[in-house]
Amino acid sequence: MTNHILISDPTLRDGSHAIAHQLTAEHVAIYSKAADEAGVPIVEVGHGNGLGASSMQVGLSLNDDKTLLETARNNLSKSKLGIHVIPGFATIKRDLSLALDIGVDVVRVASHCTEADITQRHLGYVREKGKEAYGVLMMSHMATAETLLQEALKMELYGAEGIILMDSAGAYLPSDVDEKISKLVNGLKVPVGFHAHNNLGMAIANSIAAINSGAKILDGTARGFGAGAGNAQLEVLIAVLEKMNYITGINLYKILDAADLAEKHILQIIPSIKSESVISGLSGVFSGFAKHVNRISKEYNVDPRDVYVELGNRRVVGGQEDLIIEVVMDLVTKKK
Amino acid sequence: MKKIRVAIIGSGNIGTDLLIKVQRSEYLTCVLFVGRNLSSPGMAKAINLGVKVSDESIDGIVKNADVIDLVFDATSAKDAKYHWEIIEKLGKTVIDMTPAKLGALCIPAVNLEDIIKERNINMITCGGQASIPMAYAIGKSQKNIEYIEVVSSIASRSAGPATRLNLDEYVDTTEQGIKLFAKVPNAKAILNLNPAEPCIDMQTTIFALVENPDMEKLEIEINKILVKIQSYVPGYSLLVPPMYENGRIVIMVKAQGLGDYLPKYAGNLDIINCAAIAVAENFSKVHNNIN
Amino acid sequence: MIQEDCAKSCINISNLEKLKSSHILITGGTGFVGNWLTEMLIYLNENFNFNVSIYLLSRNAAQRINYSKFKYIHYIKSDVKNVKELPRNIGYILHAAGTPDSREHVSNSIKTIDTFYRGTQNILDLASRLPNLIKIIHFSSNKIYGNNYSRIPMHESNTTIVGNNNQDVYSESKRISETLCKAYISELHLPIIIVRPFAFIGPFQSSDKPWAINNFIRDAILGGPIRILGNELTTKSYMYGSDLAYFVLNILSEGKVAEAYNLGSSHPMTLVELAIKIKNIINSEIEIKIRSSKDTYHETIFDVPNTTKLEHYFNIKPAFDIEDSLKRTILWNKIAK
Repeated sequence: MTNHILISDPTLRDGSHAIAHQLTAEHVAIYSKAADEAGVPIVEVGHGNGLGASSMQVGLSLNDDKTLLETARNNLSKSKLGIHVIPGFATIKRDLSLALDIGVDVVRVASHCTEADITQRHLGYVREKGKEAYGVLMMSHMATAETLLQEALKMELYGAEGIILMDSAGAYLPSDVDEKISKLVNGLKVPVGFHAHNNLGMAIANSIAAINSGAKILDGTARGFGAGAGNAQLEVLIAVLEKMNYITGINLYKILDAADLAEKHILQIIPSIKSESVISGLSGVFSGFAKHVNRISKEYNVDPRDVYVELGNRRVVGGQEDLIIEVVMDLVTKKK
Repeated sequence: MKKIRVAIIGSGNIGTDLLIKVQRSEYLTCVLFVGRNLSSPGMAKAINLGVKVSDESIDGIVKNADVIDLVFDATSAKDAKYHWEIIEKLGKTVIDMTPAKLGALCIPAVNLEDIIKERNINMITCGGQASIPMAYAIGKSQKNIEYIEVVSSIASRSAGPATRLNLDEYVDTTEQGIKLFAKVPNAKAILNLNPAEPCIDMQTTIFALVENPDMEKLEIEINKILVKIQSYVPGYSLLVPPMYENGRIVIMVKAQGLGDYLPKYAGNLDIINCAAIAVAENFSKVHNNIN
Repeated sequence: MIQEDCAKSCINISNLEKLKSSHILITGGTGFVGNWLTEMLIYLNENFNFNVSIYLLSRNAAQRINYSKFKYIHYIKSDVKNVKELPRNIGYILHAAGTPDSREHVSNSIKTIDTFYRGTQNILDLASRLPNLIKIIHFSSNKIYGNNYSRIPMHESNTTIVGNNNQDVYSESKRISETLCKAYISELHLPIIIVRPFAFIGPFQSSDKPWAINNFIRDAILGGPIRILGNELTTKSYMYGSDLAYFVLNILSEGKVAEAYNLGSSHPMTLVELAIKIKNIINSEIEIKIRSSKDTYHETIFDVPNTTKLEHYFNIKPAFDIEDSLKRTILWNKIAK
């Protein structure tokens, strides 16, 4: 029990950001099967911004939630099927109830790190239906440890059986992780988790720092397939955890195979830390903005790095992709 | 000219802000400000302004029915339903600020004249008031639109517990409004809360999926409706003029509040109130045969 | 079913003689406490001619149980903060208004403080002008004792402590409401008794309430697994609804003004013991899973009342043990579906 770490694998969700949400049913089938084979406890599937997020704001999905989830459900037998849900994007009636009917086992309800009270209804609904509910605090670098604890406590009261801190911008250093994860581990009853992004090359190190501070849940994706510079590279994480004598229940060789499959069939490019990713991480901007910033910057001939800095100054949160256009237009005007 | 006599039920932020706007209006006068509790800040403001107050809730309206022409209901969807049952029998008109959706949905810039005969008018949502006029302009100027999407960002501080607990209803009601006014089969509404300090102003982006956009026609329609909106919401402006980007029409608007009761960043509350006042003033003008 | 439970809990009716023909006001009349007290008074009226008039004050008309066939039950639809006057013949007040739902406390903190502070003050002000007032019971909370890490049950004389988290808004509100009561006793000599309720179980408690025991029952009815969040050795105790009602009426009848009484079961149970009992009633195959932030806890919470003061003074005992309480609650939940 002491050295058991719960792994949640959002390759087919965070990874969606990396291919502009163009996941095909085949992609989902191939990877789910391989992850199931490898013994991954939770396989998270869907649009990068979660259930019901397919939109012009953050990108239209090639396939709807129903297709993606049903495909995954059909290819998972031991692993649990998970989804990411952001209130404000997803509603209970239109989105969540359908997902539960399809057979989703785990629902991670997420909010910006200071707005936990918007998750009350959604968490309550999941618990009433007897499914596993987790609370997620996004862009958690933007709040102090004390604020994060108070927001996490709210989610715990609403029914979350675990709280995950997301480093959505890839902005954390290991010392930040120590401070914030310890605070939550001490103050909460339920297990604490960490979701890393690799903008400053810290994803694996931060994940390990989280464990050392008492976290029990970690997210990782195949080859780091995820938004911006990508996530903690799952197969590497499993290897490191094994070396440290932690138990994840995942078979190392099989997860390596799964990552090879993902590289061959799903990934268009292997995630790496580009110049923009570095500035994005330093500016504390949501990793999911990457493709949008690139596209619009190129279109209007501005330096994407300037865009990130300005977005960071404005303290823009996830879901506010429309502001990218405004910032770019401002820069264009300034240039003149 | 005879001012229309209004009563406001609901002494919270919306009701109190409405009161200040009513008292400033040439066409309206507040004869009664109703709540449940005389010691609320809203009540104190009303008393300070010399307005008659009542803490008897709907009973206050009933008792004073003969001096009231129109009622603003700024309570909650649940209470609004209960109030309407009573006010309907009294033969009065209600402008409903809640998501109860009991009557005709109204966007003043679009259907102000059409709803003149209605007795229960619903003001949809704040995001709806900001975005639907634009969605309507798109619907009017473009052919074959399948889908319109609206994203609003508001300051965390301007979203209280009631908003937060009812996000799903907000999304639902706004989407209904978009489909109705823009005549599109599919719509999506998204709401973001941003805690940045100093508080951000309300900002809304409207997207439409259109294959061959007629940007000229769009600009004409947008400018037309912009003028209409600005006549009752002075703080409404185009942040980014209509553009075509990545296969979608994009319009960005900003709504800054007047700062009557709440600070200017609470444009989301201000816009729905300004819209409601526009409806009430129109009743007054029609009543007095003013054009 | 409820009336049977009331009968079982009423071990000695003669203690309650003083309440005959009285007029009793219950604030929070449509909540768990309000419902059980109403049912108990109905039991006494219908079977022993107690002739009590019951006034239920509540904001929530929708949640009301239909008691229209009982002519002695009257509704006052109002919020405790706003009610302007109380029926002049009220002799007893049971002030139980305000939600114990901790989700409300963190999502609506300002309103929570307002309800418990201003609501209590308003009721006490109104009470002070009632000509026939005999006694008031103010329902406080076990939460004012803070987290107890000793193995000693909380005694009424323990110091009260309030923590620093958002949900402690509730503890603080309840604590200041007690202080308010003391001020009214001191200045206006109001006959107030303070009751500190611990944890309860029974019909009228919706299974979506965010407490461990409700979660366990709901998880078990849905087929499990039962999820224990946090330290599985956290120790609590549970009293059944009809026992609560019987005890409260005893305090109302014979309790001493200005005293505080703990109200709850003195029988301690760890969360894991509770989960096992529940699964054995519903389906012994159900799994129990523990989800905890820490592997070892240096301290364990012992949220159990010392009930000797109440039990010795009144010479009463609960009629339902935890097994019976669980069985009745689970049965009611199944019927209610």
